[in-house]
Amino acid sequence: MGSRAALFLRANPPLFSFRHSANPKSFLLNKRFYTAKSSLEAPDVARLAQTARISLTPKQVEEFAPKIRQVVDWFGQLQAVDLQSIEPAIRADTEGDNLRDDVPGVFDNRDAIIAAVPNYEDTYIKVPKVLNKE
Amino acid sequence: MLSSAQAPRLLRSPAAATTTAAALTIKCLHTSPILTPAATSPSPSQILTTRKSLLSRQTSAVDLAKSFLQRLRRHEPQLSSFLYVSPDDVVLKQAEELDTKIKNNEEVGPLAGVLVGVKDNICTYDMPSTAGSRILENYRPPFDATAVRKLRDSGAIVVGKTNLDEFGMGSTTEGSAYQVTANPWDLSRVPGGSSGGSAAAVSARQCMVALGSDTGGSVRQPASFCGVVGLKPTYGRVSRYGLVAYASSLDVIGCFGSSVADAGILLHSISGFDNFDATSSKQEVPDYASQFVALEYLESKPLKGLRVGVIHETLENGVDSEVISSVRGAVSHLEELGCTVSEVSLPSFSLGLPAYYILASSESSSNLSRYDGVRFGNQVFGEELNSLYGDSRAEGLGSEVKMRILMGTYALSAGYYDAYYKRAQQVRTIIRNSFKDALEKNDILISPAAPSVAYKIGEKKNDPLAMYAGDIMTVNVNLAGLPALVLPCGFDGGSAGLPVGFQMIGAAFDEEKLLKIGHIFEQTLPGYSFVPPLVADEWTG
Repeated sequence: MGSRAALFLRANPPLFSFRHSANPKSFLLNKRFYTAKSSLEAPDVARLAQTARISLTPKQVEEFAPKIRQVVDWFGQLQAVDLQSIEPAIRADTEGDNLRDDVPGVFDNRDAIIAAVPNYEDTYIKVPKVLNKE
Repeated sequence: MLSSAQAPRLLRSPAAATTTAAALTIKCLHTSPILTPAATSPSPSQILTTRKSLLSRQTSAVDLAKSFLQRLRRHEPQLSSFLYVSPDDVVLKQAEELDTKIKNNEEVGPLAGVLVGVKDNICTYDMPSTAGSRILENYRPPFDATAVRKLRDSGAIVVGKTNLDEFGMGSTTEGSAYQVTANPWDLSRVPGGSSGGSAAAVSARQCMVALGSDTGGSVRQPASFCGVVGLKPTYGRVSRYGLVAYASSLDVIGCFGSSVADAGILLHSISGFDNFDATSSKQEVPDYASQFVALEYLESKPLKGLRVGVIHETLENGVDSEVISSVRGAVSHLEELGCTVSEVSLPSFSLGLPAYYILASSESSSNLSRYDGVRFGNQVFGEELNSLYGDSRAEGLGSEVKMRILMGTYALSAGYYDAYYKRAQQVRTIIRNSFKDALEKNDILISPAAPSVAYKIGEKKNDPLAMYAGDIMTVNVNLAGLPALVLPCGFDGGSAGLPVGFQMIGAAFDEEKLLKIGHIFEQTLPGYSFVPPLVADEWTG
């Protein structure tokens, strides 16, 4: 584990606009501030939306951008933590995998699965054309 | 389930419990003043009371179901805790079948006649399961979640599906695509979230117990806000099969009850290994209820020798002073019960919050890619496939969900993975280790369940970081995969105020200890009734 100082938070005060006295802002603010700016590029929301396959209008992109930037900036505080030689944990690891044998089984409510398909014809799930013009 | 060593108090009908509680006061006074039963009778187990009165034919499952359905419907217009309520005839038919079995002296399950609410991100084959999202509006899964199947096999009756923040992403239940749930203690306030519907429903006695899910505190924080017991089991204790995935490395199904006993009995019935969830554990499931000790059998210092560590970082500035004093009061009560209390420092505690949000967003961006409008859910048909995906997701997903998917997509993109996702996983290792150290020196750890009591509807709606900050007390426990029990311990502003809950964190798979301590705690905590005024007049349980 790194030194205690290295574990303190970095946060930009303007990121937090708490209005209520009960807000636990000290968990975010009442620590030593790190001003080290992340060298990472700010998120390009239009491109992210395309990657995530969510159609956003330019106006929606504009609305999301500052909010996402604010949170991503807040994520950035982990850059200041000394994590050298610490192994990442993919989950809580309370127990190893209990994989079942890799044998196919038959689901007994097949009709209900098919009934849930929004666009179904004969034995096919119907989708618009997959290939682009070019 | 009912062993002969069972607490006799729990086997009594509610009417009998009152008189005996008075008798117990006299009996216990000479041993120790702290063992005086609460001025208002301690929360009896609704599950055990139901079982006793059904088997002794004092009441019928049909009558019981009718009275709950009536109360559910009476308060539903004010509370909006349910997204779907099972039709009366469907519920009553199941109750009738139980009554017939009891009449014929056939065996009935341990949860016979127990009326359960199920969070709407847990699949039920006979009811819609929307996860609070438009993209799954009217969706009926072709199967029951394992936890639901186990409940039904134990004789429980599912009364309906409870409201939640869309896909579990939120801390107020305002993020539901359908309705905003009100807190039964103050209708202008949030019930917490994301399992706010389940917490409100149990609090207002619309059902006896409920299932929720907890990815970063979604069972424990609403339990605290609504004055009920909330139990987050160890990761792997309960199968996640049929739980709509949000962040698979953190998600667990959890339990709500109006007493520790109910939460424990509910957990027992849904726990265990499941072939359909490779992360479910093969560890034996103890009969939690058999560990409960009734008030009259308690020694003067029933928790003698138990080491309790109070997490220093959770009682600092930024936490409501009323919350701090209630939790300190709970700690003194544990001390009076014989516990040895010390303070523990977890310096990495505050790092859990950003690490949690990075991991949860990243996992959600992957998990929620399945909602593309092709195989199930709502579809916006388009000219070509990509616009079908994009438009279906744009129409069907709410803004908080979109935001988390976009943040997760960013954190996982090439070149950023090491800076965000991997770092967050390293922080998870630090947090896991620090809990492990602290739990080697202590039997349980204590913190508030949330930094504040329930706040006003709308107060944090447009300020994501303010809402995220409210999860500080709970997210670390998910990162470490540990079990935690939240139970009410006091009120903000005296007995007329809002309930405050405190959190007990245990070692992995040590739910038994948490429940045993919690059961003693709630029986001996003096002076509080955690039935909201809204239903106090009509509730005799």
